[in-house]
Amino acid sequence: MEKIFFKLLALIALFLAILFTANQVNWMALLKVEENISSTEEKIGELFWELYEENNREINDLSIIEPIDSIFSKICETNNIKKGDIKLHITKNYEVNAFALPNKHLVLNTGLISEVNNEEELAGVIGHEIAHMELDHVMKKLVKEIGLAVVVTMTSGNGNNQVILESLRTLTSSAYDRSLEEEADIKAVDYLIAAHIDPAPFADFLYSLGSGSDTEEYLSWVSTHPYSKERAEYIINYSQEKTYKKESVLSDATWEGLKQNIDQLH
Amino acid sequence: MISLYRFSYEPSEHECEKASYSYLMSLIALVIGMPIPIINLIATFFFYVANRNGTYFVRWHATQALLSQLSLLFINSYGFWWTVSIIFTSAQVSNNYLAYIVVVLAFNIAEFVVTIYTSIKTRKGIHVHWWLYGDITNAMIKPGSGNGKDIF
Repeated sequence: MEKIFFKLLALIALFLAILFTANQVNWMALLKVEENISSTEEKIGELFWELYEENNREINDLSIIEPIDSIFSKICETNNIKKGDIKLHITKNYEVNAFALPNKHLVLNTGLISEVNNEEELAGVIGHEIAHMELDHVMKKLVKEIGLAVVVTMTSGNGNNQVILESLRTLTSSAYDRSLEEEADIKAVDYLIAAHIDPAPFADFLYSLGSGSDTEEYLSWVSTHPYSKERAEYIINYSQEKTYKKESVLSDATWEGLKQNIDQLH
Repeated sequence: MISLYRFSYEPSEHECEKASYSYLMSLIALVIGMPIPIINLIATFFFYVANRNGTYFVRWHATQALLSQLSLLFINSYGFWWTVSIIFTSAQVSNNYLAYIVVVLAFNIAEFVVTIYTSIKTRKGIHVHWWLYGDITNAMIKPGSGNGKDIF
């Protein structure tokens, strides 16, 4: 029996020793993991964005882009996020929706900008979508929904158009896992606090979306982000544990100007 | 890591065939259940249960085949759930993960080769005693405790 016990220990030791040795090799570099992942994500991101752009006009009006870019920049700069890596797009679409596409395309619909009541609510939504990108949720969701094989096929240029469209629809109009949504919410609160933006209005926004409204048919961000009331509660609870400053990114006049310009588009 | 012996008696052609199957069982299951580590163990376990009252030679090899799957079950399961967590949660591909997968693959390939070798030798009536697993099997399986019948 003693012999068996020592042999068992020896086997475990052998496994650990081989594992330790294997760990000394830089497999990430050897297998070019980072390059392969980013190349796949880049191809898919461009494919999806081009497809989305065909049916949704991108806004180039600086009076709309600049105020939103100020909020976006503040979040990035105060959280050490590489702003240049994220492609911010504002698209003319009545749907109250914002989403992240692979290769860090952040899309904000004018419908969502029109729906928010203040810059803090908008900052919360932007922070939430940046969190999905920074936490690598976008590709995970895609792989989970359509499978790794389909993702790889799409990047090779052999993807079926219907499959690509369906995948794009999945990313823009279906929810992430509840745990991923919560993770992105909490991360968004951290981003807001670091940027001295009050997270409470973001929770209010979620709560009001969860309560429904007469424009419900356009509220995609509710269907893509369920359990809104519950989320509002844990955002409030989490932010209450923190001490933070509250500063405005935009002046009242700039915010009002932005809202007016968006309303004119509609 | 493996030793070849003459068994305590000369196994019949039928016994050699059954004993050889116990190893093939894990290989067939390996092909079907590659990503699901428990399949191999289940397949060899059912073969073991079906032959636990078989002849000494068959019982011995069915037990060794079953035990050999156990250690792989642990390391494969860990690798499987690690992979699942990378695909579905916020876990990332890391150097530790890749090193683990490389080692797991190496152990699986080694086990695969040794299993084929053992299956071939056992089919010829040669008693193949694996390091550690053979010792555990010796401690568990004693001659004469079965009823000598083979079920399938």
